[in-house]
This record gives sequence, structure tokens and C-alpha cells, in this order.
Amino acid sequence: MKPKIGIFGLSGCWGEQIAILNCEDQLLDIIGAVDIVDFLGGSSVNDAESRLLVSFVEGSVANAREEAKIRQIRERSDLVVACGSCACFGGVSAMDAPFERPKVIETVYGSNGPIKSWDIGPHRPLSDFVKVDLAIPGCPMETTEFVRAVSALLNGDMPLMPTYPVCLECKMKENECLLVQRGLPCAGPVTMAGCDARCPSHNIACIGCRGPVEEANMASIEQIFGDKELPKEQIKLKLRVFAAPVLDRTEERG
Amino acid sequence: MKILKMAKHDLDFFASVLPAFGEVYAPVQRGKGFVFDKPSAWSEVRMDYTRTILPPKKLLLPPRETTFSFDPDQGFTDNLAEASKPVVLFGVHPYDIYGLNILDRVYAEAKFPDPYYIARRRATVVIGIDFVPDDKHCAGSMNADFVDHGFDIFLSDIGDDYLVLVGTSRGDDIVVKSGCLMQPATEADFAEYKKRSRIRRDSYKTKLELGDLPEILEMEYNSKVWDDFGARCLSCSSCSMVCPTCYCFDVTDETELGNRAGRRIRSWDSCLLRTHALVAGGENFREERSSRVKFRFYHKQRGFVAEYGRPSCVGCGRCVEVCPAEINIITVIETIRGERDGISSSAPASA
Ligand code: SF4
Ligand code: SF4
Ligand code: SF4
Ligand code: SF4
Repeated sequence: MKPKIGIFGLSGCWGEQIAILNCEDQLLDIIGAVDIVDFLGGSSVNDAESRLLVSFVEGSVANAREEAKIRQIRERSDLVVACGSCACFGGVSAMDAPFERPKVIETVYGSNGPIKSWDIGPHRPLSDFVKVDLAIPGCPMETTEFVRAVSALLNGDMPLMPTYPVCLECKMKENECLLVQRGLPCAGPVTMAGCDARCPSHNIACIGCRGPVEEANMASIEQIFGDKELPKEQIKLKLRVFAAPVLDRTEERG
Repeated sequence: MKILKMAKHDLDFFASVLPAFGEVYAPVQRGKGFVFDKPSAWSEVRMDYTRTILPPKKLLLPPRETTFSFDPDQGFTDNLAEASKPVVLFGVHPYDIYGLNILDRVYAEAKFPDPYYIARRRATVVIGIDFVPDDKHCAGSMNADFVDHGFDIFLSDIGDDYLVLVGTSRGDDIVVKSGCLMQPATEADFAEYKKRSRIRRDSYKTKLELGDLPEILEMEYNSKVWDDFGARCLSCSSCSMVCPTCYCFDVTDETELGNRAGRRIRSWDSCLLRTHALVAGGENFREERSSRVKFRFYHKQRGFVAEYGRPSCVGCGRCVEVCPAEINIITVIETIRGERDGISSSAPASA
């Protein structure tokens, strides 16, 4: 019998579920290798009960309902994989982490807005609630990394995820450096690779969508931005767009 | 070694015989930089390039290469046929040929010869060319501004002509194939060559003293400057990626979906990355960033000297060009010699 897997979305844009459906060349291989039994984004008939080998979860946890959902997913799965930067770090919707929710809602919708009726708290990464076995960051995640992960997990291995920054892949592609040669605010040196330097390869400075590398040297890159007459705070603001909860915590720890 | 000459205006005729010897790569412009690539027309080739973003190493030791594939039914299939495809690398500066000679010592002449590197090196025709140094080149100081082997043909600018040094019998085959383009060189040509050689040697704006460097590195092993460099370094690995003589690699396996077939992949690695000295169990021999920056320079300027009798740096200036934090062969050697007070811009203080 093929192993059963589930694909779930919490608070996110469904980008990862679409990325999975976009694995056009591999979809037949995927469904040949696994039984996708619970996937609301792909099927209206789902099995919400059976035991799963792997659950792939996109999106952040934003309220009690989603917290219960991720706990239930964890309960029924051998492995939980966080897919995309929302699941891994909180993502774009967690950018307001330091602000109070009612204030944010009031600013956006005015004082007559849905302040009380909205059951939405701060968006937080899955790992704040349950054990996450593997994180595939990206906004959205790269389909190649997803397929590699499925294939490795089916062989009983943990896929090797990049731990190095975007610059490594950018240099391998022999791009001219946007930061050094053109003074553009590239977040590549502090951002996790795996995208094959997608943006710098199109002459667009990296915006940090895959989250910070483990030992991001923020003090030094701020200094470098300053020396290039870029606003120093810009680099942190960039990284906060996708990984505010993680960055804020690193800062608290010092 | 045979020495001939060829008129500069005949260069495109000369180029037209090269495809018979392999797929031609030559320096072409990319953005404001240069890369070795397949030119779509010979007019694209930039004889006046400063340095390419990646060194020729990218063709002999590709950034990511599949060394072999495996399949439970068919066993192993190596990628040597792919690696043996003939290539002509045109327009290589002497320091980069020197870089290849250093890679030869590590990959071809060492205890464990690497079949993939050797296959590519054998299949690659190297046509060198001299150059005018800019302020980032320090090949002169690194004794890598002239090469006497490692190329098939070397072209030196002597005004209206190139002096053509033929280094191998394969180089001679190319000369024969290019027929009447080549003329015997005269006394006057040699005199011109010597004059220009002198000018070139004197034109290096950056001079570094290597003399007692291994000893000074020994003295400065516990110096605080490494902490300052460590505080600046982003561990981005750009310096190793672009270095013609950085040869570290990582090996990973990738499996295919739903079966146990797959491939083994070798990718460039760098001692500046956190994982370079990380071993099973989570122990890291170079946890501190400062120890990694130090390691890079000790490997290039001291470890390599002890093992191979010369530093592995060839003075190409690529790390000078790419390091966002200005940690490079010039700033490091000058700082460690006490000839420079750290790096120009205000560095974040080390803890
Ligand atoms: S362009 Fe950006 S990602 Fe690429 S090497 Fe430069 S800083 Fe790194
Ligand atoms: S250390 Fe720097 S200058 Fe020396 S060979 Fe490497 S990249 Fe070139
Ligand atoms: S300097 Fe570092 S990356 Fe380069 S060859 Fe030495 S150990 Fe490897
Ligand atoms: S020395 Fe410079 S180029 Fe090398 S890893 Fe550090 S910051 Fe990057």
C-alpha cells in the first residue's frame, strides 16, 4: 500500500498548495508514490481521520481554531513539514508582530470595523505550537525542493536543506553582484539559499523571502548598507517582511 | 617551446579554426563584468577584459556536477563521457592558468587523482593571453603573472602582432591547422616582447610582500585582527566561489521520486560557511566566524605553502572585487603586516 500523506493550509495565500499542483512534470510520479488522502486545495473528497506518514502544512497559525488544527495534524502524522515562509517563520502576515492586533485592525478598518468579531491573533510559525520535522522556506516554496523532500522522506531520509546564503548560488550562476557592483539593497548575504538566486539572476535585489540564515550577521550588513549610502534599517525591514517573529526573537536573545 | 607570431588582424581567422578542437569559451561581457561563455559572434569577445566573475575553474570543476548516477537495476553510470567533451578555453590570463596548474597539483597529481577533473583538464585546450593589470590584480606579488606551462598556446601583445608561444603538441596542431597565419618571430619581436614584459611587471599598482608572510602569520595567530575580520564577515562564501584556487567541495545524493535510483552531486563548498567544519554529533571545529576567516588565509598563505611550496593565491583580485565586507587578500595581508589600520570603512566592533 502506498503511504498516505496530507496537504493542509492554515493562514496563507495557498501559494504552496498551488506550487504543489504546479509540479506538472512530477505530479504523476507523486501520486504514483503516495496516496494524497487529505488535501482540501486539490480535492473535495477527503479523509480527515486516517494516520498519515507526512503532513505538508502551509500558512501560519493565527487563532485558536488553527492552533487546534495544527495540533490535530501533528497527532495523526509521523512527520510534519512546514511549507513556505508563513509556516516556517510567520510570513508576511506576521509583519505586525510587535503591534497590538486591535490597533492594527482599527488603523485599517476604522473604529467601526470588525475589532471584536474578528478571531485573528498574531500570526505565528507552526513550530510555536508543534514539533516541525522539516522546514521548506520560500514565498512560495520552490517546487524542486518540495519534490526532493517527498522523494527523500519516502526513502526514509531527511532531505538536506541549504544552510548557506543566496550569494553562494548567485555566484555559482556568475551574476554580477547587485550589492557590491551596483549598490543595490540585496539581502542575499543574510538570506537562506535554495531558490538558485532567482531574483538576483533577474537583476532584482534579494528581498529575503526564504528567511534569514542561521547566523545572519546583521550588524555587519547594516554597516555595509550604511557605507553604500543605503538606509541602514532597510535590511532588517526587508527580512522582517517574511520572518518578523524569528528576527524579533533573535534580537531579544541578543 | 616553439615561438611564432601572428598579426592581430588575423585573430578572427585564427578563431575560426578553434571549433575543430572543441566548444569555444571566451571572455564576453555580462553587465559591467566579464564571463567565459560561448560567444555568439567573435566580435563579442573582449580581449581587453579585466577578470571574469568566475575563474576557468567553473569549466574544469563545475559549481554543481553529477559525478555518477545509480540505479538498483543498472548499477552505477559515471559521467566521464560528459566530462570528456572537448572544450577550447580562449583568452585565459596567466594568473588563471597558474590557478589551473595549482588545481592540477591538488586534483591530478596528488595522492587521490580525481577522474572527473583529469578528464576535463585533458579535454580542454587552453589558449592564454597577457593582460594589463588593474589596481586589484596582485599576480605580480604572487609570482603568478607569467606561466611556463599549463597552456597549449599563449598569446603576448607585441603591438601589431601577437607573439605565439606553443606549449604542447596539441597547440602545434592548432598552429598547423591555422596554416599561413603564423610567421616566424624575429629578433625585433623578441626585443619588443622583453620591453613590454618589463612595462607590464612595473605596472602593478598593488604590491604585496610575501617573503616572510608564513612566519608573520604564525606570529599573528592569536591577533585581535581576526576578531575584527570575523565581526565583519557575512559568511556569504563569495570569496571562495570566485577564487580560482579554492577547491573545497561537498558531496550529496539525490534520489528520484518513488524508486531508489538517483545521482551523486558534487558542489562547491567554502570554509567560510558555518557547516564546513561541522561534524556528526553537532561539533563544529570552526564555530567562530573569526576562526573561519583566519582559516581561509592560513590555508592560502601558510598551509598551502608548507605542502606545495607556494601560496595558493594567484593574485587575480576577484576576492577584492566581490567581498561586500572588504575582507580580501590585500586588506588582510596589509593589516596582518601592520601596514594598514584595519579596513577603511567603520567596522562593527568585535565583541
Ligand atoms: S547580488 Fe545579492 S545574492 Fe548575489 S552575490 Fe550579490 S549580495 Fe549576494
Ligand atoms: S585569494 Fe583572492 S586574489 Fe587570491 S587567487 Fe583567490 S580570489 Fe584571487
Ligand atoms: S580557502 Fe577555504 S574554501 Fe578555499 S580551498 Fe582553502 S579551505 Fe577550501
Ligand atoms: S570574507 Fe567576504 S566574501 Fe568571504 S564570506 Fe566573508 S563577507 Fe563573504
